[in-house]
Amino acid sequence: MKFIDMWKPALATMAALVMLATGGAAVAQDKDPVVVGYIGSFASDTGLSTIRGAEIAIDELNEAGGVLGGRQIKFVKADTREDVVEGVKAYEYLNDVENVDFIISGSIDDVSLAWLERMAEYKTPTLDTWTSYVGIIDKVVQEYDKYKMYFMNIACDEALATLYIDFGKDVLAAEMGYKSTVLMFEDTAFGVSIAGLVRDLLAPEAGIEIAEEIIYDANTVDFAPLFNKAVDSGADFIYLVSSVRSQVPASQYVKLQVRIPMTGVNVAAFGQDFWNDTGGLGGGTSTLSPVPSVGMQLDDRTAAFIEKYKARYGNERPIYPHFNGFNAYYGIYSAFQAAEAAGGFEPLDAWVEAMENTDIVLEKDGEMWFRYAFWKQGEVEPRTGREYTHNIKFDVTEPFDDGSPAMVVVQWYEDGNVAVIYPKKFANGTFQEPSWVQ
Amino acid sequence: MNSTLRRGIYGWIAFAVVMVILPHVVGTGVTRSFVFAMYLAIFAVSWDIMSGRTGYISFGHPFLIGIGGYTTALLTYHLHWPLFLSIPTAVVITMIGGTLFFFPALRIRGTYFALVTLAFMELIYGLVQVIAPNVTGGTRGLSGLETIVTGAIPNYYLALVVLLVLGFTMWLVIRTHIGTALSAVGMDEDAVRASGINVTRLKLFAFMLSAFAAGLGGALYVHYLGSIAPRALFDVGFLFQILVACLLGGAGTISGPIAGAFFLTFLLEWLRPYFPGPERFLIYGAVALVLYVYQPNGLHELVRNGLKRLNQLKLSRNTS
Repeated sequence: MKFIDMWKPALATMAALVMLATGGAAVAQDKDPVVVGYIGSFASDTGLSTIRGAEIAIDELNEAGGVLGGRQIKFVKADTREDVVEGVKAYEYLNDVENVDFIISGSIDDVSLAWLERMAEYKTPTLDTWTSYVGIIDKVVQEYDKYKMYFMNIACDEALATLYIDFGKDVLAAEMGYKSTVLMFEDTAFGVSIAGLVRDLLAPEAGIEIAEEIIYDANTVDFAPLFNKAVDSGADFIYLVSSVRSQVPASQYVKLQVRIPMTGVNVAAFGQDFWNDTGGLGGGTSTLSPVPSVGMQLDDRTAAFIEKYKARYGNERPIYPHFNGFNAYYGIYSAFQAAEAAGGFEPLDAWVEAMENTDIVLEKDGEMWFRYAFWKQGEVEPRTGREYTHNIKFDVTEPFDDGSPAMVVVQWYEDGNVAVIYPKKFANGTFQEPSWVQ
Repeated sequence: MNSTLRRGIYGWIAFAVVMVILPHVVGTGVTRSFVFAMYLAIFAVSWDIMSGRTGYISFGHPFLIGIGGYTTALLTYHLHWPLFLSIPTAVVITMIGGTLFFFPALRIRGTYFALVTLAFMELIYGLVQVIAPNVTGGTRGLSGLETIVTGAIPNYYLALVVLLVLGFTMWLVIRTHIGTALSAVGMDEDAVRASGINVTRLKLFAFMLSAFAAGLGGALYVHYLGSIAPRALFDVGFLFQILVACLLGGAGTISGPIAGAFFLTFLLEWLRPYFPGPERFLIYGAVALVLYVYQPNGLHELVRNGLKRLNQLKLSRNTS
C-alpha cells in the first residue's frame, strides 16, 4: 500500500470536516442576527416612545420566527442626549461598531440634520419617527440619490400647518365666532416659527386679528402677569405656543382661572402623562398633535399594540406612547416588509424601492384610519402642490381616505379626559371653553 | 538645545509616528473617535494659549470656534465659495472676532473677564437663531455642507496634520521668552508692565494666535461634520468639554490639553457599549473630578512625576 493510500481515508475525512465546517459557517452566517439601531434620546418621553414602539415590534417579529429566513433581530441603542454632535457620534457608533443594517430614529430636528450627512456617507437605511422638519424632506426631493435611504413616518410640518389652518377657519372662527387673539409664545425657535405661522397664515386665512403678541422666556415660572396682559387686551382667546415645560402655563391658566379661552400648541399635552404633570390642572388645554395622538380612537391592530405597551411598561413613564411610539412600531414592520421583498437591506436600491411600495393600511369600521405608506419620487400632493418624497403618505383633505391625517387637535377636559376635537372624521369630542370662562 | 526641549521634541516625534500608524491598526470606529478627539484637542490648545498661562480665563471660546464655523459654512453653502477661499476667510474673520475678546481684556480680568466672554457666546447663540434664520438656518442650522475629504482615514490625517502643526508651534511658542512673559502676566500683570514689556501687545499676540487656531479648527470641524447648528457650537456643554480637557490634561502646557481631549473622548466612547444611556456621563464626570482632585495640575503633571520617579529608580539602581 502506497503512503498516500494509507492516508486517503484520513484526508477524505478531513476534507469532509473542512467542507462541513465551511458550510456550517455559511449557515451560521445566514442565521446571524439582523441588527437594528436606535438613535435618539434615552431620557425624554418622545425618545422612550420610539424605543418602546420599536422593541415591541421587534419582539413580535422575533417571536413569529424571525425575519429574512428565520434570523432574529438584535436591537442596539445609541444615546444622542438631544445633542447635535453626540448625534453624529452615535450614528458613527451604530455603523462602525455595531454594524447595523437599519436605523430607527427618535431624534429632534437639528440632531437629525446633523447625522443626515453621515447617513448619506454610510448609506444606511434610516427611518425618522419624531422630527417633522420639511427641510429634511426637501433634501430627499432635491438630492434623491444622495438621501434616498431616508424615510420619515410622521407628517412634515408643512402638512401639519396646512390642516391646522383649517382648524382655525372651521372651529375657532366659524364655530366659536372668535375674531381676535393674543399670540403668546415662548422665546425659542419652535415658538418663534409657529408664531410666524399663526401670524402669516392661520390668522389671515381664518380672519382672526392678532390683538397683542406676548413673547416670554422659556424659563418663565410665573405666568400671572402675562395672562393679565392677555385678558386686558380684550381679545377673544389666547393662542399659546409652548414646547418647554408646557405644563406650567397650562396649569397656571387653570389655577388663575383666566377669563378667556386658550388654545394653540402645547407639546406637554401630547402625552398621557400631561394630567399628572399638571397636578390635575390641565383642563381646558387644547393643542395640535401629530397622529396617532392621545385621546384618539384606534383601530384593532393599534389597540392591540397599546395593550402590549401597557402590559410591558406598566406605570413607567410615558404611560402611553407619544405619536412617535406608534410610528416606530409600524416603521419596523414597514422596514422589514421592504427587506423581505428586496431580499434584505442590501442592495440599497432594491430596499428603497420596496420601502417606497410598503403600504400598511389600518381601518376602523371599514374606513381608512391610519396609513403607513410613503410619498414616491415625483408624486405631487394636490393641495399644497409640492413633493414630499419619502414622507409618510399623509392626507390633508376631507374625507382623509388617501392617508393618515397630517394632525388632529386634542383637548383636555376638566375631568381629566382627553378627546380629539378636529377633524370631524376623527373627533370624539368638541371644542369646549373652560367652565370659568362661561 | 537644552535637554528638556530635546526630550519634548522627541516626544512630539514619537506622538506623530504613533498617530500616523494608528489608523492602520485600529478599526474605523476608533479612527472616527480619534478625529473627534483631535478636533477637541485643537480647540483645547487654542484655549490654552489664550487662557492657560495668562490668567484670562475664557468662557466664550465657542464664540470664536463658532465664528470660524459659521463663516465658512455660510460662504460655501450660500455663496458657493470654494473651500480654499472660505476657510482662510473664516480664520481672518475669527481673528477679527478675537479682537472683540481682546478689548475687554484691556480693562478687566479674572471672573469679570470670564463672564464677559461667556456673554459673547450667549449673545451670538441668540443672534444666530433670530437674525436672518433663512441664511443661518436658525436653530436647526445648516446641513449638507461640503466636506474637504470623505471617510474616516482621510479625515483622520487631515485633523492630525492640523493638530500636529498647531500643537507643536504653540508648544514651541510657550518655550520662548513669549511663553515665559505670558506666564508672568498670569502671575502679576502690573509687574510685567513695570518691567518695560508691552503687555498689551503680548496679550494681543496670544489672543490672535488663539483665535487663529479656533477659527481654523472651527472651520475644518464643520466641514468634517457636514452640518452646523447653534447648539453644536455655542453651547455650555461644548465649552465644558474644552475646559475639562484643558484642566484635566494640565492647563498652560499645550501637550496636557491634547492628552486631556484624548482621554475624555475615549473615556466616553469606551463607556458607550456598557452604559449606552446618560450614566456614562455621570461616570465621565466622576472620573474627571477624581482625577482633578488627585492631581490639579492634570495628566501632564502625572506623567511628568511618573517619568521623574522612573529616572530616580534607574539612578538608584545604577548607583547600587
